[in-house]
Amino acid sequence: MNKSLTWKIGLVVAVIVLSIVMLVPPKDKINLGLDLKGGMHLILQVQTEQAVAIQTDNNVNQLRNTFKEGSIKFDKVLRKAHNRIEISGTQYDDERKIRDILDDDYRDWTYSFGGNLISLTLRPNIENQLRDQAVEQALETIRNRVDEFGVAEPTIQREGLSGDKLLVDLPGVDNPDRVKSLIKSTAMLEFKEVVAGPFLNEEAALTQYKGVLPEDLMLVKANPRRMDKGVYVMKLASVVTGKDLKRAHRTQDEYGAPAVGFSFNNQGADKFYRFTSASIGKLMAIVLDDRAESVATIQDAISNDGIIHGRFTVQEVDDIVLVLKSGALPAPLKYLEERTIGPSLGADSIRKGLLAAIGGLVLVVFFMLLYYRGAGINSVLALILNMLILMGIMAYFKATLSMPGIAGIILSIGMAVDANVLIFERIREELAAGKSPKSAIDAGFKKAFITIFDSNLTTVISAVFLFQFGTGPIKGFAVTLIIGIVASMFTAIFVSRVIFDLTYGRRKKLTRISI
Amino acid sequence: MNIFKTEPTFKFLNKRYYAFGLSALIILAGVATYFVRGGFNMGIDFSGGTMVEVGFNRHVEISDLRMALVPTGMGDAQITRIGGEQKFFIKTMNVSDQAMKSETMDDHEVVARKIENALMSPEEKAQTAAGKIDLNNTAIGEIASFLRSKGLPDTDCQEAAQQIIDARKTGTGIIADLALLEARGLKHKVMSVLRESAFLGKYTMLSVEIVGPQVGKDLQKKATMACIGALIGMLLYIAFRFQFLYGLSGILTLAHDVLISLAFILFFNIEMSLQTIAAILTIVGYSINDTIVIFDRLRDNLKTMKKDNLEAILDKTLNQTLGRTIFTSFTVLLTVLSLFLFAGEVIRPFAFTMLVGVISGSYSTIYQSCGWLQVWEKSFLKRKKR
Repeated sequence: MNKSLTWKIGLVVAVIVLSIVMLVPPKDKINLGLDLKGGMHLILQVQTEQAVAIQTDNNVNQLRNTFKEGSIKFDKVLRKAHNRIEISGTQYDDERKIRDILDDDYRDWTYSFGGNLISLTLRPNIENQLRDQAVEQALETIRNRVDEFGVAEPTIQREGLSGDKLLVDLPGVDNPDRVKSLIKSTAMLEFKEVVAGPFLNEEAALTQYKGVLPEDLMLVKANPRRMDKGVYVMKLASVVTGKDLKRAHRTQDEYGAPAVGFSFNNQGADKFYRFTSASIGKLMAIVLDDRAESVATIQDAISNDGIIHGRFTVQEVDDIVLVLKSGALPAPLKYLEERTIGPSLGADSIRKGLLAAIGGLVLVVFFMLLYYRGAGINSVLALILNMLILMGIMAYFKATLSMPGIAGIILSIGMAVDANVLIFERIREELAAGKSPKSAIDAGFKKAFITIFDSNLTTVISAVFLFQFGTGPIKGFAVTLIIGIVASMFTAIFVSRVIFDLTYGRRKKLTRISI
Repeated sequence: MNIFKTEPTFKFLNKRYYAFGLSALIILAGVATYFVRGGFNMGIDFSGGTMVEVGFNRHVEISDLRMALVPTGMGDAQITRIGGEQKFFIKTMNVSDQAMKSETMDDHEVVARKIENALMSPEEKAQTAAGKIDLNNTAIGEIASFLRSKGLPDTDCQEAAQQIIDARKTGTGIIADLALLEARGLKHKVMSVLRESAFLGKYTMLSVEIVGPQVGKDLQKKATMACIGALIGMLLYIAFRFQFLYGLSGILTLAHDVLISLAFILFFNIEMSLQTIAAILTIVGYSINDTIVIFDRLRDNLKTMKKDNLEAILDKTLNQTLGRTIFTSFTVLLTVLSLFLFAGEVIRPFAFTMLVGVISGSYSTIYQSCGWLQVWEKSFLKRKKR
């Protein structure tokens, strides 16, 4: 045996051992996709525009305060779009002052003066940054909630590298409603001063104000599951928000019904005390995601903690506590896609996929042996190694095996032997042209190589496009196909050659080969 | 064994007009079908909508299901039986309620719930209303917490829930009899709780898929872009490895395969989904392989057969490579066939499209790729001789 063959065999053995090490035990190493083990798949869109709008609102408030403090006269400061503010009714004399304020403290904005109207526009790069932050923050919040809820091995990631879409895969979860409301809850908790109410409906509430609500007020509907239906008129500005909370937990109200207990941090306690001590006898509402959860009369000055009570079940209390703990979402979420796969469907798919794989393998092996006899055995060995490498690489990269992925594996059984076919046909041709078996094998491998390379590369090119376009399971298909093809380049060209050399290499005189 | 004992001498090229004619006929029939049907049978991936897969433990007719759905205003839902089994896909594209024209995801969710509600029999509804749980339609976590609420110890609850789910995983996905669970070794106190406060629904929701309308539109655009991108990728690569005219012939051949596949998708009313697009893209990548093998040989032959006319060279090339064109496609066809027959309904649209594409691919490799080269014979040979 010559030297180069020795190291070639060594390499093949090393690859075999490595693949097996990667793969053992298969149950732990091969990750099944949701379509095979059951679970819930969600695509969510973060309404980033609203996150920007919230930031703009903050700036509006800040501007009003700054103007008041600097005794700059103005008529109105309003948010005109999610990224635009308009200031009206300012005096010509104040222009210098205003420009100074805007230049110093509002660098994220571009502004222009037109008559007595000043308009500010958020710089596009800042806006993008805000949007990006909102998505990242939403991702983090959802991850916290899912972890709290206790889902094993969830996948929570951005769909694509940028953009506002999030992908959430929750294996083993098949009760969509509860999980979805947990994830989706923006968890915007606000304590608001109630100005009037409850009214029967919005029209009734508006008649008080001749149909037009003043700018500093808003209408809030009562959550019908917690309290009697109705609409309240509240102050737009919140007294405290969820950000001022230190802790939330499940507790009971004075009648023993489940309730949400909370305590404020120092800043929150401060604000809350100042407000309650000045407003004894007034109504205050606890608003969660724009729905009033509870409305009560302020009896005392409160600083540290309190409870939200209403008609809660224990589960509802737990869910509210969970979302309060995990923090508020920076912007509302919208569902784009939802797939729930029950456990029995996945089990059925695995059985059928396995059957199809065995069927495909048996058929291909049978025809390869029938058509190429001795050389057929060679290609079958290469094929088995190909499958081993394919699974090993998938295990190494922790790739997820989905139903289309199984289809990809089955398909690569048929495609992997193509390289063998091209080589064997070429060898036959060389033999027919009268070459000796040894030089025919040599020429066959040499001449077929570039053809195999070209044709496999085209398949990879289109698989890459498929990967680019596809979602989860289809990506899995593209991945298995690419790995299968690359592995077949190794097995059909390199390993096959080694096997030929091993079988025929040692014979001094080779007159016939089985092909 | 060998298909051709000696090199065959078929005259492919002089029949190329018949081949062009046949392909044109199929494609035109596809176009006609497109207009008759008013477009493709779009899956919810592309159109947005709700698709529910449901299994029953008794014989159910499609008409029974439709009758059940009519009162909810979803009588026009598309209902298909899966294989020969008591399993069905129920698909609706739009929210039928006129009040919900906006078609947000929440509306589709309402639709999914309505479908499930329509499938429940009165006694199942009564039992649910009485606070009992349906072991065939409740998630593992819910079963466990339900049992816990009945005062059973935690470990028993989890074990029992796991056993119930495992029981659903075998066979039809529906537990027919509580005795089956007892046979799995559930504890007596668990069984007595189950007998008292659980029931076995006659159906099971195998999967629920809801896709918002926005996703579908995005995906349609992306799918088209991916197909065009892949075709251009092929053109560039072959033009780079061979010549521009080879590349052009190659992608015309591929476009032919794509169109034939689409035509058959229309003929058999196969659902257009992510899967079908995946199949088409795979065909684009795979069916070019045989063409490359032929072009490779053609390049050699053009050097050695300088005196022959183009038609003879092309015919010779095709005959030389015929064995491998057929056998390489044949091995892939075997695996695709296995997928089509055994892998179940989920993957069948993919397998079907691949089946058509692989057959069309090897036919087009023989009749189209070289046929196209001959179409621009003059400029092709001129470039060749230079």
